[in-house]
Amino acid sequence: MMRDLGVQFGLLLVGMTALSGAAIAASNADGAVIRNGTIGYVLTDYHWAVYQTQDSKAECPTGMNDGPREQFKILFPDDGKKRTLLETQLARESAVWHPDVSPEPYPFKEATGKYAVGLNLDGKVGPNDFSSPDGAVKGIDNQLYRAIGCITAYRGPDGAVHYFGNKFAQQYHYDRVLLELTNVDSLTNDSDVTVTTYRGLDGLLTDATGNGFMPGGTERADHRWGKQFITRFKGKIVDGVLTADGSDVHMPASSTFEDVSVQWIRDARFQLKLNQDGAEGVVAGYVDVETFYRQLVQAWSTHHQSYGQLSSPSLYKALRKLADAYPDQQGHNTAISGAMDMKFVQVFIQHPPAETAAKDAETPARAARH
Amino acid sequence: MRLFTKASGNLKQALCASTVGLATAFALASCSGPGAETRIAAPAAKAGKVTAEPEGEASPRRLRLMTQEQYLNTLAYVFGPDIKPETHFAPVQRTDGLLANGTAKAGVTDSQLELYQKTAALVAGMVVKPERRDFLIMCKPADEKAADKACAGKFLSDIGRLLYRQPMKPAKVAELVEQASASADKLKDFYAGLAVAIEAMLVSPNVLYIAETSEPDPKRPGHQRLDAYSLASRLSFFLWNAAPDDAMLKAAETGEILTDKGKAKIVNMMLASPRLETGMRAFFDDMFAFDDFNNLAKDPMVYPSFTGVTTGDAREQTLRTVIDQLITKNRDYRDLYTSRETFMSPSLAALYRLPSTRTWTPYEFPADSPRAGLLTQISFLAVHSHPGRSSPTLRGKALREVLLCQPVPRPPANVDFSIVNNPNSSYKTQRDRVVAHRSNPVCAGCHKITDPMGLALENFDGAGRYRDNEKGNPIDASGSLDGKDFKDAVGLGQALHDHPALTSCLVKRVYAYGTGGPAKSDETLKWVNTRFAEQGYRLPDLLRTITLSQAFADVSDDAPAQAPVKSASADAPAANTSK
Repeated sequence: MMRDLGVQFGLLLVGMTALSGAAIAASNADGAVIRNGTIGYVLTDYHWAVYQTQDSKAECPTGMNDGPREQFKILFPDDGKKRTLLETQLARESAVWHPDVSPEPYPFKEATGKYAVGLNLDGKVGPNDFSSPDGAVKGIDNQLYRAIGCITAYRGPDGAVHYFGNKFAQQYHYDRVLLELTNVDSLTNDSDVTVTTYRGLDGLLTDATGNGFMPGGTERADHRWGKQFITRFKGKIVDGVLTADGSDVHMPASSTFEDVSVQWIRDARFQLKLNQDGAEGVVAGYVDVETFYRQLVQAWSTHHQSYGQLSSPSLYKALRKLADAYPDQQGHNTAISGAMDMKFVQVFIQHPPAETAAKDAETPARAARH
Repeated sequence: MRLFTKASGNLKQALCASTVGLATAFALASCSGPGAETRIAAPAAKAGKVTAEPEGEASPRRLRLMTQEQYLNTLAYVFGPDIKPETHFAPVQRTDGLLANGTAKAGVTDSQLELYQKTAALVAGMVVKPERRDFLIMCKPADEKAADKACAGKFLSDIGRLLYRQPMKPAKVAELVEQASASADKLKDFYAGLAVAIEAMLVSPNVLYIAETSEPDPKRPGHQRLDAYSLASRLSFFLWNAAPDDAMLKAAETGEILTDKGKAKIVNMMLASPRLETGMRAFFDDMFAFDDFNNLAKDPMVYPSFTGVTTGDAREQTLRTVIDQLITKNRDYRDLYTSRETFMSPSLAALYRLPSTRTWTPYEFPADSPRAGLLTQISFLAVHSHPGRSSPTLRGKALREVLLCQPVPRPPANVDFSIVNNPNSSYKTQRDRVVAHRSNPVCAGCHKITDPMGLALENFDGAGRYRDNEKGNPIDASGSLDGKDFKDAVGLGQALHDHPALTSCLVKRVYAYGTGGPAKSDETLKWVNTRFAEQGYRLPDLLRTITLSQAFADVSDDAPAQAPVKSASADAPAANTSK
């Protein structure tokens, strides 16, 4: 079930726009979901945005990248030469945990082509930029897509990271991401709304199909241990589409063993089609490379990476090569443009008593640890 | 068959034994137990409010199969609340609006007997488990690896009194002790032997069936009344949905329960007990036909928010509301249909689209909410709908039959459902569909008495969620109930609140539930209803009126009464629909 995210997203916007009006009318009369100018959402699905064609020829003309097993065979062929464990498996495992940018004896296959999902982050149209899948938006900045687009693990619908990363995020409460819109007058057009992200404390409500999640649940925001995930954005809603920017965003990103890793997207911005039942769209920005890599190797062992032909040492080199923002003192870029596609359902977000919330607000916790 | 042979093998107690031992369905039986006359006779009743009660109403002596809930509630009282075996007794047939009435017509099949035995064995095993035996069995055998007749006899006679709902005859105790002792010696385990005897008791027809026996009423020659133990059981299964407790049996043993003062004392004690909640939950679960929840299914593609959890919580929400309003707050019964107060669970809150707490919490819908009263709760709306769409007809029919006791005739065999069932029809709303349906004269007669009030609930879809349009078409939720017009569900609730049949229906159901079947005539029900009105339609007062009435304790040799059936009529004025 290959998909064209751009086309899907476009159709989704049309469909959700049609639903929006009816839903607003209904909920105003009973159980209004906008209360005191506030509406909340909880993240139910997210993936690193990878534009895929039916046969992958357009974006990966030379095929998919090799993974740990394939690379191991190249590096250590069955040629009768005696090698120690230290020289082989442990050496490769060391490369996973201590990656570098030295060259490798095999090529890394970057995604190519004209199209990618994401946003034009710098307002420019450069030679390395993409166009949106429908061609309407030029200058899409998504170098992360070049790095991961031809790695099976990141491709839908059943790539290991694509599928299980999302599944674990649904299952693990640690990964609960809340989005709260305040100062909202209308979900159709509103020139000034505030968007705040939180980590939630509660599970998702599975719907009767067993495959989806129902809107209308209640989520408690974590103001105690989740301060690093509280981020505020200014935004606006135009024709039912929210855009918000102006800050970094930290996302809890636990996978496999319920580790407590995060993703850090700098200068992040949301573009989400909203209605009273949910929201869908992208968050884009500059993904901190070291944080991305740390999350990858903490959450996905070499064993798991092998499922999806994902070689983290190779990917690290590609990330460092393609990184396009936030240079360090040596001039090396530390972040890479990228995007996540996201789906939310509406929830009521509960905060601790006002005095606690106010106290928390006085000490906004930005993630200095990064 | 083997089971009952084993369990009751030598049980010679007169209890319609000829029928009980059969694993075949048998109809309502009346039993006048030999020896009943020898029990303590009641003193002459004092003159009092009973004088205002019409004479002549008396129920047949009944033989009722204990329901699963009654069985489990009784076990919980006798052995403790942690004795909760997983079991599923066969459902009984709803009769005259109540499952409780059906227990008097319930038979027992071989497979049911097997289930009873499995359950009994499970319970017996739980009772004698090492972690429980020390506080459930208040004596210690001299040797745990051998029989101990004294200890077994003490324990079995103590629990036997509670399970059989009357003191055990020495011969019966001796028989069970022999059974326990033989098993203990054979198994070289006192407790294993005791478990065999417990199992035998729990499958005894004298335990599983509630058999009423009578005696002549000394105050009124020629009249029969329930004997003390039967009265205790009738009261207890009615108000607590469980067998009588120790205090009630003591009152039966002394005959106190047969005196006006003693019975009033017992009834007041029962009404004040927390166990009344259990009893009334069972009654309203029965009256509202909530057993329908057991088979309720919604199309998940149409109603993805309606989950299995929702189903259980919807039932619980209504029962909590009823108990809170009618027992805890002692409110007017009619206000159930207009009150905005209820309780909310996290799962239901998602369906109502409300913020929730982590557990059940009191909740009051705001004054401008389209929801008020039980009719607008998920339970009524979802149960009386189709799996994939709402149904004004099913909702209207339920309102008539369940809440107003007005049976709606079944559709004729040749009815053409194609108009309402065609998913591709051009009708924009359910109103359009049913209006078209009513254009057929064959259908119109019945639909006129169900649809006008069912349409008032069209602001709620088949899962009970609010909507103000159907596929983009605005919903007209106006309607009428027996001449009273309204514009929406809140108006329907008020019309129902004011409908005279609402309270008379409750009286009818409560009376039948308590006595095991419908009243023979209207006179006593009218008298009870009048008192109900005088007392502000308070449920505890209604229960007190019924339980203290002469009719409640009087029995006759007559055949069981058939519930008078008066169908709802579209043309009848409200006053004529109060059956």
